[in-house]
Amino acid sequence: MRMRSGDIEGAIEEFDKAIAHLPTFADAVVARAELLDSQGKWEFACGEYERARRLWAEMPAGAPDRRYLFRHRGHLAFEIEAYHLVRSNVRNKILPQLAHGNALFSRGRPKEALDSYERALLLKPDLPDVLALKGEALSAMGRYQEAIEAFDKVLASVPTDAETLNARGIALMALGKQAQANADWRRQLELLPTGQSAARACVAMRQANYEVAFKEFGLALAKEPANAYWQLYRMTADRLIGASLDPITLPARRHWPFSLLALPTGQVTEQAVLAQADTPNRRAEALFQLGVLALAGNPTAARGYWSEIAERGAPMLIEYAAARNELARLGS
Amino acid sequence: MFSVILYGRNDSHGYNLHKRAAISFNALAEVMSDSDDEILFVDYNTPDDHPTFPEAIHDTLTDKAKKVMRILRVRPDQHAHLRSKTHLVALEAQSRNVALRRSNPRNRWILYTNTDMLLVPRDDRQSLSDILGELEDGFYEVPRFEIPEMLWEAAFDRRDPAGNLAKLRDWAGRFHLNQVVHNYMPMKYDALGDFQAALREDMFAIHGFDESMILGWHCDSNLAARLALYRGRVDTLIDKVFGYHCDHTRVAAANNKGRATRMNDQDQYIWNVASPYVPAQAETWGWPDIEIEELQLDRDTAYQRFTAGLTSTITPATAPFVTTSLEWQLYEDLTYDLPHTLPFVCDQVVTFPRSTAVMVVATRPDFLHGFAKAWQAMGFTGSVLVPEECDGLPSGLEGVERGPFADLLPRADIFIFEFGLSTQLPTEPVRAGRPMAPIDRQRLKVIERLLKRVAATEAGTRPPARRTPRRIIGVNVIYNKFWMLFTDNISANINPFCSQVLAGLVREDNSIKGKVLRFRGRYGL
Repeated sequence: MRMRSGDIEGAIEEFDKAIAHLPTFADAVVARAELLDSQGKWEFACGEYERARRLWAEMPAGAPDRRYLFRHRGHLAFEIEAYHLVRSNVRNKILPQLAHGNALFSRGRPKEALDSYERALLLKPDLPDVLALKGEALSAMGRYQEAIEAFDKVLASVPTDAETLNARGIALMALGKQAQANADWRRQLELLPTGQSAARACVAMRQANYEVAFKEFGLALAKEPANAYWQLYRMTADRLIGASLDPITLPARRHWPFSLLALPTGQVTEQAVLAQADTPNRRAEALFQLGVLALAGNPTAARGYWSEIAERGAPMLIEYAAARNELARLGS
Repeated sequence: MFSVILYGRNDSHGYNLHKRAAISFNALAEVMSDSDDEILFVDYNTPDDHPTFPEAIHDTLTDKAKKVMRILRVRPDQHAHLRSKTHLVALEAQSRNVALRRSNPRNRWILYTNTDMLLVPRDDRQSLSDILGELEDGFYEVPRFEIPEMLWEAAFDRRDPAGNLAKLRDWAGRFHLNQVVHNYMPMKYDALGDFQAALREDMFAIHGFDESMILGWHCDSNLAARLALYRGRVDTLIDKVFGYHCDHTRVAAANNKGRATRMNDQDQYIWNVASPYVPAQAETWGWPDIEIEELQLDRDTAYQRFTAGLTSTITPATAPFVTTSLEWQLYEDLTYDLPHTLPFVCDQVVTFPRSTAVMVVATRPDFLHGFAKAWQAMGFTGSVLVPEECDGLPSGLEGVERGPFADLLPRADIFIFEFGLSTQLPTEPVRAGRPMAPIDRQRLKVIERLLKRVAATEAGTRPPARRTPRRIIGVNVIYNKFWMLFTDNISANINPFCSQVLAGLVREDNSIKGKVLRFRGRYGL
């Protein structure tokens, strides 16, 4: 607000406070950099612009088989505020509501996002693109049945909407409707162009279709050789189809998911991996890998790891779907 | 590293277009340093008999600009299916998508800008390739700063891009040029279309520009809306690059009629956008199945082809000049100097697609011989079609196909009607009052009859896929007895006698006289 009112010094002060409180707050870092730049402090600002970009890039992005929305990175504080302003000034239009809702959703506020999507739907009820987002918000809030109903409507009008097939698959799997979930993902895989190897690989992995996943992750790695997750998943698929394992090249940077890659080499222990899994999603990723390693020698242990994912993991995770499919194969 | 995508046509869009564009092309090339970098210029709907816009101004471009530029030529016939839907002659979304589809797949970035922009890296040791090479994935814009017309017109040297960029660095402070104009999200800045850098992969994922936007304006805002949805943010590159626009408001451009300007609907294409994608064009955007001609300015140019064609068929003059005359008493004398005339004939055709099939309806054997040779040497792959009705012409010439006129008519893309004397010898003086021989008269009657038939039936006899009218070239039709015949039927300009050639499309004459002429032409009356 201070920035908009022309109080540059005051705005810088506020941004300083925000960054001190949350050093990874890239939105504030770049906004402050622009202010400093406008004051002639370009050389200092340059480093700050770069820092913001780096922070954004380091934020985890959602799986590429999911809706575009899940690949947004950042706190999106500026977007929430900016689109709020737009929707006050450009009334009764869909985009401002939608963009506002998306920013809130990406910020982890699906309930408020749902409100924005509902407002957009008041303008054009049953607009498939908005209905799909409403479904995503409902799904994120755990209201899977309602989400499925929204996705059903979307798919009734656009049966080839691959992103919505993915979303409905996740909601179905969360409700334990495994066969239907897999059917949606199979259809999504058919629809995805061959060039979208990462998306194809991820949706194949959800289905525990490791032959396809292995091949597609290989293609995805060729495009993004530094993507540690593609390396990890390719290695996982490789192990689960029983193919001869490639030697593992561990990435230079030792942050997550480094320890998951290092796990099969024996360089890290189960305890260390679980200790480093400092979020529920990372724990689910770790448990899945532990299950994969245990499977050949100790299927009961594998079942144990995967059961925990099925009981406590987030349904949107690739590991959640793959674990549930594995458990079905193990007969549990 | 990146492909710059620009579009335009060989016309006069706004004030001093040629200078603005030359400044811009050269400046863009100047900030490229990666071997994969390219400037893709889509030349959209320039008439077939004109060169593309960059070819028309090539002498003002630097060697580097010529080297990095790829010209993709969209022909009027390829635009014809959209002509009735828009008042515009150049379409932005189609142009930019044609380029995107054909951009270098090794490049990570696509940069959308326009032919009056100069991009100035703030650190003068960096190229734009360096900047984009180090940049994280995203969708980036920079604010546009204006350069007053006096400054760029008076002070810029078209062929000194480095000097122009240095001047801008100086003027920015001296003349207070750098004013950032913020805009609502998702646009972020005003005039956003002058710098939108997106990942090539993202552009393919969202199906390029929305090709239903055919009324002009807001293509950039639509792209911003869709990429903002797709990426979540619109990022700035203001710390790396300043973008300067050569202001050109002295004369309004053709698509600017003030408040009466027709444009794409803002609500539909900005405020009610609900998806990053345009699924309706997922398979067709950028016309993937249509062959688009590609030209380069540093090799195989139209000039090189033109000279190759002529060199193959005429030898240099041995006299300092030759004479002819347009005096009225010579009205019936149809002699003309072939070596002088052939360059003007070749000039009429050299810019046409190489696959063009040309019908030559001629009297003089040496004309056909010389033209057919030049045609091949100019790199044309289409046939030279010669009606069997034209007697006395050589047979067995390479690339020449003989056949009944009626059979050849639906295969021809252009026509050449040559009104000479089949009995003229190369050594004869030109326009000295030579009478016509009976055989000349007889053969000219055939040419006249076939011209009338083409004029009467052109629209109904076009090749199956062709939508645009075919051009008709008249050789030796100025200030002689066939001048009236030709211009009664063909809508040609007034050309100097010295050029020997008139050309145009069939005259659309809906008067009684026109209808009678067409009727008589159709039935050879």
